[in-house]
Amino acid sequence: MRIQPPPDLRGRARRDRVMQIVATIGGRWDTVSHWLGKGRPPVTPVNRVLPLTVEEVRREAVAEDVLSLTLSHVDGDRLPDWHPGAHLDLLLPSGRMRQYSLTGDPADLSSYRIAVRSIPDGGGGSLEVHTLQPGDRVSVLGPRNAFPYVRQDAYLFVAGGIGITPILPMVRDAARRGADYRIVYTGRSLSSLPFVDELREIAGYRLWVRTDDEHGLPTGPDLIRDLPAGAAIYCCGPPPMISAIRSVVPVQVPLFSERFSAPPVIGGTEFTVTLARSGARVQVAADESALAAIRRVRPAVMYSCQQGFCGTCKVRVLDGTVEHVNQRPLPGYMNICVSRGQGDLTLDL
Amino acid sequence: MDVSLHARNVEFDWSNVPAVWIPGEPYVCHLLNSVHLILPSFERWFIEVYTEALPLVRDDKVLEDMKGFIGQESMHAESHQGAAEHLAALGYDVQPFLDQMHWLFFEVLGSRPHLSAVRQVDWVVERCALIAGLEHLTAAAGHWFLNDTGPWVRAGADPVMTDLLLWHGAEEVEHRSVAFDVYQHLDGRVLRRMLGMTVALAGLLLLAIRGAKHLAAADPDLKKKPGALRFAWEFFRAGRKGLLPRLRLLISQVLPYFRRSYHPSQEFDTELAVSYLATSPAARAAQR
Repeated sequence: MRIQPPPDLRGRARRDRVMQIVATIGGRWDTVSHWLGKGRPPVTPVNRVLPLTVEEVRREAVAEDVLSLTLSHVDGDRLPDWHPGAHLDLLLPSGRMRQYSLTGDPADLSSYRIAVRSIPDGGGGSLEVHTLQPGDRVSVLGPRNAFPYVRQDAYLFVAGGIGITPILPMVRDAARRGADYRIVYTGRSLSSLPFVDELREIAGYRLWVRTDDEHGLPTGPDLIRDLPAGAAIYCCGPPPMISAIRSVVPVQVPLFSERFSAPPVIGGTEFTVTLARSGARVQVAADESALAAIRRVRPAVMYSCQQGFCGTCKVRVLDGTVEHVNQRPLPGYMNICVSRGQGDLTLDL
Repeated sequence: MDVSLHARNVEFDWSNVPAVWIPGEPYVCHLLNSVHLILPSFERWFIEVYTEALPLVRDDKVLEDMKGFIGQESMHAESHQGAAEHLAALGYDVQPFLDQMHWLFFEVLGSRPHLSAVRQVDWVVERCALIAGLEHLTAAAGHWFLNDTGPWVRAGADPVMTDLLLWHGAEEVEHRSVAFDVYQHLDGRVLRRMLGMTVALAGLLLLAIRGAKHLAAADPDLKKKPGALRFAWEFFRAGRKGLLPRLRLLISQVLPYFRRSYHPSQEFDTELAVSYLATSPAARAAQR
């Protein structure tokens, strides 16, 4: 391939000498890569699915209907190791996939423990988990860390309800290492909170169970009032709780919160997307993103942050009106992970 | 620690950042500023190559990592582009250099659709070997930035620019295994990996020095255009002050890559990176 070198950097008439050499070598490089590719071993498919079996199911909070499940390898093998804050992708028999934090002890690799609150008006995943019985088989992917726990000398842990699940192994590790830490555990009422006894045993006076029925709804300053000196804050719970903390924590205090891959769609309306290249029409439901709907027919469509800022999923809009949700909309384009259509849209896909 | 990768949103306010953002250190600043000219095309090129490589991958974990990687690289490209535009606003003629980088990454190293299918795959894998080498170098730089910011702080470095380099460096450390794992999955032969690093190292040094020269030539405060010797002396001096990594350190961080049993998880420190990201002012500003 012949490549024309670019103009000189300072606008002089002659071509840039270094770039002339780069162009000459670059033009022949694909031939070299073809030659290098001759002994290339074939790509080996890697199966990351772990086959697990349900060992034990326990009810952890009466009022909120929280179950804990202990899972072990079907062959009794040692499970992959994990760090506090890690989660599993649970593949359910119906094909649904849900993420649950590991809430057992990382030192014990004979089993994993997860805890699941039933959400009757959710997507049905939690209800399906609640039907699992000891002996049932499930497949999981992971463990993976989306909430990395860093070893420090002091911590403030703030958990809201079922948000205790990733925090519990962190507390156990902090206690084991003799760190200075406090836990604020919030929820509607004591009976709605899982693992209170277990926490009390580990943390004793360092635990403050702060329930709404006793203290009212928590504010940001309430939640961080016991911040130890030099501590990092780890919080997991409902989005309003996390925003309340974010708005009061000084910037020099490290703040970690669980990062969810895709935020739920709230107040969306249904619309239709036409993919111009194939003519396929996709119905986007009120509670899903255009990306989720398009992935059903085009699994290979590009995306990354799923929150509308990175721009990886942007697609040219050929027709229709876009409601931009992202911060830096590019005219004529749409970030399909968050932006929606008003009525029908035609996209260059 | 195996971190599941996500792009982080950031906001940088360039309005008060001078071009020479470490007072009295124009040469160091021009060298570090050269990354704003190189990286926008460089990181968009990663995304282009990986978009082509995705269909070849038969491992869900590698695929998931690549998606997180692409989002992070896209934010890096945006942010350095912002810094480059700021340099332009300060009177530096950066466009010819940005154009040259676009030419380098998208014409010389871009996709070659005229090739046969087999040769196109070879070309993608070749570029993945190169990216694996480049990513080791960016992670090494990120590790160096994170490890000791003392000399920069004492020299009065601008906090916004420091945050850009630290935030970017921390994400490079965080995702340092991705490019390596992609190459291992698609080819994995050691010699080709080493060849990739050799080209990556030579190429990156060449580009950084050309960028620094270009910026220094446009600096109104430098009366005489600096030659190669002047730059070499200034970088040696800055290395002794701890403002730039020293040559010896650079060599000791590149050598492990040539080990047969090398894996990026053996080097650098994810916890340090993740801790910085939890306090980065630009990341915190965008979260509110």
